[in-house]
Order: sequence, then structure tokens, then C-alpha cells
Amino acid sequence: MKGLRGAKLGEYLLTILVVVTLNFLLPRAMPGDPFLFLSGEEAGDIIVPYSEEQREQYLEFYGLNKPVVSQYFSYLSELCRGNLGFSLYYNAPVSSIILNRLVWTIFLVLAAVLFSTLIGVALGCISAWYREKWVDKSLYTLMITISEIPAFLLGLVLLFTLAAGLGLFPLSGAMTHFADYRHWWDKAYDILHHAFLPVTALVIARLGGMYLLSRNSMTTVLAKDYIRTAQAKGLQKKRIIYRHALKNALLPIVTRIFLSIGGMVGGAILVENVFAYPGLGLLMRQSVMYHDYPLIQGIFLVVTIFVLIANFTADLVYGKLDPRVGQLGVAEK
Amino acid sequence: MPKKRSLTLVISLLVLLTFSCGLLYGCKIDKAKETSKTEGKKTADVIKLAGGDYGYLTPYAHYPRGPGIFKMRLIFDSLLERDEKGYINWLAEKYEIKENGKQYLFTIRDGVKWHDGKPLTAEDVKFSFEYAIKHPMVSSTISEKDIEKVEEVGDRQVMVTVKKPSAVMLSNLGTSRIIPKHIWEKVDNPKEFLDKEAVIGCGPYVLTDYSKEHGTYRLEAFKDYWGPKQRVKVIEFIPVSEGILAFEQGEVDMTGVTPDVLQRFEKDPDCKIVKAPAFWGYRMLFNMGETAVFQEKELRQAFCYAMDKQDMIDKVQRGAGVPGCAGILPPDHVMYNSKAKQYDHNPKQAEELLVKLGYDKLENGVRVNSKGEKLSFNLLVGGEVRLAEIIKEHLGKVGIEVTVQSVDGKTRDARVQDNKYQLAITGHGGWGNDADYLRERFSSEKKAGGGISPNLMRFKGYSNPELSELLEKQFETIDENERKKQIFKAQELLAEDVPEIPIYYTTGYTVYKPAKYDGWMFMFDHHSLEHSKLSYLERN
Repeated sequence: MKGLRGAKLGEYLLTILVVVTLNFLLPRAMPGDPFLFLSGEEAGDIIVPYSEEQREQYLEFYGLNKPVVSQYFSYLSELCRGNLGFSLYYNAPVSSIILNRLVWTIFLVLAAVLFSTLIGVALGCISAWYREKWVDKSLYTLMITISEIPAFLLGLVLLFTLAAGLGLFPLSGAMTHFADYRHWWDKAYDILHHAFLPVTALVIARLGGMYLLSRNSMTTVLAKDYIRTAQAKGLQKKRIIYRHALKNALLPIVTRIFLSIGGMVGGAILVENVFAYPGLGLLMRQSVMYHDYPLIQGIFLVVTIFVLIANFTADLVYGKLDPRVGQLGVAEK
Repeated sequence: MPKKRSLTLVISLLVLLTFSCGLLYGCKIDKAKETSKTEGKKTADVIKLAGGDYGYLTPYAHYPRGPGIFKMRLIFDSLLERDEKGYINWLAEKYEIKENGKQYLFTIRDGVKWHDGKPLTAEDVKFSFEYAIKHPMVSSTISEKDIEKVEEVGDRQVMVTVKKPSAVMLSNLGTSRIIPKHIWEKVDNPKEFLDKEAVIGCGPYVLTDYSKEHGTYRLEAFKDYWGPKQRVKVIEFIPVSEGILAFEQGEVDMTGVTPDVLQRFEKDPDCKIVKAPAFWGYRMLFNMGETAVFQEKELRQAFCYAMDKQDMIDKVQRGAGVPGCAGILPPDHVMYNSKAKQYDHNPKQAEELLVKLGYDKLENGVRVNSKGEKLSFNLLVGGEVRLAEIIKEHLGKVGIEVTVQSVDGKTRDARVQDNKYQLAITGHGGWGNDADYLRERFSSEKKAGGGISPNLMRFKGYSNPELSELLEKQFETIDENERKKQIFKAQELLAEDVPEIPIYYTTGYTVYKPAKYDGWMFMFDHHSLEHSKLSYLERN
């Protein structure tokens, strides 16, 4: 078992190295540099011009005029010391910028994963039990339809209908600013109130996948003999589904949960742009626009690490849940 | 059979759902209009505007973009300030220009306090200039190349001696921010000075809240402000994803609108629509160094006659624009010369010019001369593909073939910088700035310390000695009337030569509710109401 884990660890480290290298090279392959402002993107934007000397000064200050190879190695050495660099545009350490924003993105992602799993699995179980009946058919069609709608589009629809149209939810942001909260639960409610629409958009987008997976998994399990035995024994329907079948059907669902965390970050980023939610989404877009190399590298590195951690955890959990997989690992070695 | 029925049921349910959502949205907006008409309010307790992160508001830490600069300026005052017509005395009670522009004597106002209560003295002003020379601010206008020395004269006066007199020196000195000596003299690395003391200025507003990740700011009126009383007590900048929605919901008190949404607000008696001055524009560049035929003035003039600028405005900007003036300066500019040559849409005239140049034969719709050289060029654009395609159409009608090459904005900027293009289109703001940018753009004399900004580009391949001489001269002319005459002549020369073509200037529309607050004004060279300091202060 340990050997298997060691090999896996090595694989992940290699992946990180490749990703870091790509993250380093790709932004620098973009034409233009962070200090060249010749045109304004938004009509009406005033930009402060840098003179030739100022540009040279900045390039030197940030070490951007050294040869690429030496920049790369200094970046790697800094990385090993935990220093993600200094943002060219925001004038602050990359790690602190990302950390502040990351919290909000993680909040959205975890909430979305939690709810989409709970609802998806519950609906999937119901569907599996009533397979081929009208409950199943209507749920199935509904889920298929909405699962293909991208999260940001859902976000826009929710924004226009529930927020702007009905005024039930705030239009943007993570909380009401400059408000006095008398109790901590007022603040908590406010944050939840603001998070409702973005999370809903993400949940609906992911629901279809989770539902279909659990439906399939449950159907396979429900066809097994021991379920028939349970039915024959006269056990209650609920007990059979949730106590006996679900546990065994859980395997693919669990792996799917962890894998979807990685994908969810991508969807969260788009939804954040719709709701001006202060997560990594806007940050990522701006850093690419402004050619802020350290920040771009930092953000993509963090996102990659998240996905890898999620994968790694999925592997571990899977091994624990299904002893057969663990044994197989030993057998492989 | 059951399968089909449930499917149709689900689909019809979805359609109904979407439809009703749309109705609900429409209903809500109609309800918002049922308010009575009231007069414009001249004071306000809280004004909410769209935020975004533009950095911590010290003169060294804000980001180099418009909204950051102007927010910082609400906290830090300068010797002069901008109103609708020009510069007015601000921290400087009065000023004198001596020795024909070599010396500037500023008399500093009495009774000015910093936000921490300490008094502002001439020492602070002297320090501010010297510090800004040593550590250039983000939007710095002075450097050690310009200033020889700064001296304190008596109790409340500061004398600045410059190395060479120039027409822009007064405004450069006048808009440089004054910072407290007792705080910044201990700071060696101003960019990283992000303490609470760093935002102590003497301006009308104090920064009470700033959140980088949310992009929020809160500015409160400074009680002991020396100047005109603040009409707005608190300004809050909050994040907004969709400006128009936020404005309709009352989350922000002002928003920019595009022409297609204009009717919604035109019918609303509570909303006032203001058209912004046209200080953002597109221009077409000719790379005369690489493509020799562009050095023929008649060819460039032919381009002008061939292009129907109003048509482009109607198609690309939905009518929200002003056709470009060949004299470069836009009509809203304080030094605009309306008598300079104009090029109305005249394809016949364009063709005549091309024939005169020798391009009299047509080969597959493209003009060629006797040597077989075709009038066929590459047009490099960033995101302005639609504009480029319309230009291509117009030029095609007179026999000039254009191939549009579209890349991303930064790529286009890099290639323009490196002179790797034939024709290019670039768009940017700042057309309302001091007319000196004409010199930076079109004078073929090399100037030390030129800036790389959208206005200021090294111009290869173009040389007009008369124009260059005039532009260099206006730079040194202190007398305003004399200088205006020179700028007027420069526009006439430019209009005749057309080294580059201003295509059109965009105008924007801003909407606000006078019942909430109606103190907004435009500075003479800027397009944004909320950026003006005087918008928030009492006027006489």
C-alpha cells in the first residue's frame, strides 16, 4: 500500500512540475508586456502612460529583462520557499491576494458540491427505484435538459429573474458593504443571502451529472440479488434504498464528487464574473488581461494543486471505501 | 405513447417557466417608474457608485487607471484644480509666472489642515515636489529633467525654478499631489507604504474603508476641509456586475448607458441623461517608414475623402459618436480650431486624387499605376473588426484594397510599438488632454523623456519641418493667447497633411436621478462626471 502511495505521490509531483513550467512559459509567450499601454480596452478608460525609461525601470525591478531560463529557475527556487512572487499590477504579494479571494471561491464550490450531491443523489435514488415509471421519466428528461445549460448562463437567467425582476436577491457581491451588523448571525445571513444565486447556478449546472450517475449506479445495485433478498424479507422501501443499496452505489458517486471539485472551480470562475463575486474568477480574467505574470502563475498553480489534491483524496477514499481496490493495489505491486 | 406525453409536458412547462420569468422581470421595471417628478437635489448624505479594485488610494499605490487616479485625488489636493473651463486656484491662493516661464511663485493658502489635524505649510509643498522628483508618483507629471530647484520663500510661498520654460509646466506643477512631509519623510519605499497614515491628505474626503477583494471604497467628508463645503457627506463605491440593472434597482446612483438602452431612460421623468464630451477616439495610422507610398500626402487625403465617418458611427456606435477632425483635436477640446480643413465624405474627390498620383487603371477593382503597383494594404486591428470591415468597404469603393488582420489588443499594441504594420487602428482616451500631445505625436524632433501612451507615439517616416518647428515653439510659449494661435495653425497644417486619420470620437451617455443628487459637472478635459472633484463640492 505504501509503495502504491509513494508512486502516486511521485506522479503528482511530476504533474505539478509540468504545470508550473507551462504556467511560466505560456503567459510569457503572449505578445506585449505588462507595462505597454497603448490602447484602452473600455471606451472612456484613461490610462497613465509609462515613458520608455519608466518601462525599462519596471522591467528591471521585476527581473523581467533577464533571460527566460534564469527567470524560470529563480521562480522555481522562490516557489520551493513558498514565495509565489509579487503581483505587477496589484502591488502586493501574490499569495495574499489569492488567499483572500480563494476563500470565497472555495465557499461557493463546497456549497455547490454539497447541495448538488445531496439533491442529485436523492433524486437519482428515487429515479432508480421507480425506474421506467413516469416519475423517473419526467425527472430524467428534466435533468437531461438542464444539465447541458452552462453555469454562467443559468447565473444570468437567475440574475435577471430573481434578482432584478423579483428583487428577492441582491444583484452582486458577497455581502452588503458598509453595513452595521448587530449580531454575527446577521452577517452570516447576509453572506448566505448573497451566495444563494451563484450557488444555485452552480448546483443546477452540476445536478444533471450527479443525478445520472447515481441513477445508473443505483440501478446496477438494485438489480443485485441481495436487494431482492431484502425485498423478500419484507424490509421497508426506504430502508432498502438508503441503508443497503446506497452504500454500495456510493463508490462512483464519491469519486465523482472529488473529481467534480476540480471542474467546479472552472464553472465557479465564470459564475463569479456574472455576480461580481470576489473570488478567483475576476482575478484570473484581470491578471491575464494585464499580463500580470506572477499572478497568472500563482492562480493557475493554486487551481491545479486543488484539482490534484481532490484527485489524490479521491484515490485514498476510494481505497478505503472499497477494500477490493486496496487489495488489488497490493496485488499489482 | 406515455413517453411522448411526459416529454411534451416537461418541455411546455419549461417554456412557460421562461416566459413567466420574462414577464415578471418586465413588470418589476415598469413599477420602478411610478415616482413623482422632483427638483434636482443639491446635497446628499450618501452617494453610491460602481466600484472595483483600483488599489489603495495613496499617490504611489493606486493602479495606473482612471478610476484609481481620480479617487486618490479626492483625498489628496494639489495647487490647482480643474473646472469646466480650465484651471482654477486651489491650494495655491495665487501664482505668478516670472522670467517668462523659468520661475513659478505659488502663494499657499492659510488655514489648510491635513486629515490628522496638523497644518499644511509651504514646507510640505516644497517637500512634495522634491519627493515626487525622487520617487515618481503613479500619475506623475514632473521629473528631475524639468525642475532645477524648489525653494521656500517666506512663510507661505514656494518658488519653483525650471530648467526650460514650457507651456505645460504650470499645469504639471499645479496637478502634482501635495503630501504631508511629517509622514512621508520617513518613507524610503513609497510603493510599499500601505499604512493608515499613507492616506492622510488635505483633500475634501477621507478614506474610511477599502477592501481589495470586494473592490469597495468608502470616502467620508473631511470636517475641517479648507475649501468649498462638501455637498455629499459619504461616497460609497460598491461592486456591480451589471451597471444598468444596479442603477434601476437603486444600488448605484449613476451609470453609463449605451445608445440602444437610451429610450428606456429617455421616457423616465426621474432620470436625467447627460452626453459626455467626446474624448475617447479611434485613429488610423500610416506606417510611412515601411510603406513608401504612404508618404504621398494626396494618398492620405484620398483615404480621408473615401471614408464615410458618419456611416461608421451609425453602424458601429449606433450614432453615439462625433466624426474625427483632420486637425486631430476633437470639437470639445478647449483649443479646437473649427476652421481647419475638413474632409467630408467625397469618393469622387478621392478618386481624382488617386488618378493624379498615377493610379488611374483598375485591375479587378483595385487601382494600379503604370508600374503595376497596386493600392493594396494590410490593416492591423485589435478588437475593432467591425470598424475595420466598414473601412475596407468604403476604401474598396474608390479602388483601394484592404486586408483586415485582427489580433488581440496587446498584440496590436506590441506590433504598433515595433512598427510592424502597414495600416493600423488604435483606440484610446485622453484626446482632451493638453494640446501638447500634438508635439509628442507629430514633431519629428526627438524629445527627451517622451512617454509611451496612446497619444504619444514616435512617428517614423513622417517629417514636416514647418509643423515640427511650430509644435516645438508652442511648447515654450507661456502667453496663452499666443499659444492658442500657434495650436490653431498646427491644426491647419495637420489637417492639410493628414499624417494620421482620427476616425471618430465616441461619446458616452450617463444617467442619474436629479432627485437623488444633481451636483455633477465635467472637467474641461475629461469625460466622466463622477471623476470631477468639484462634482461633490459647493459651487459659487
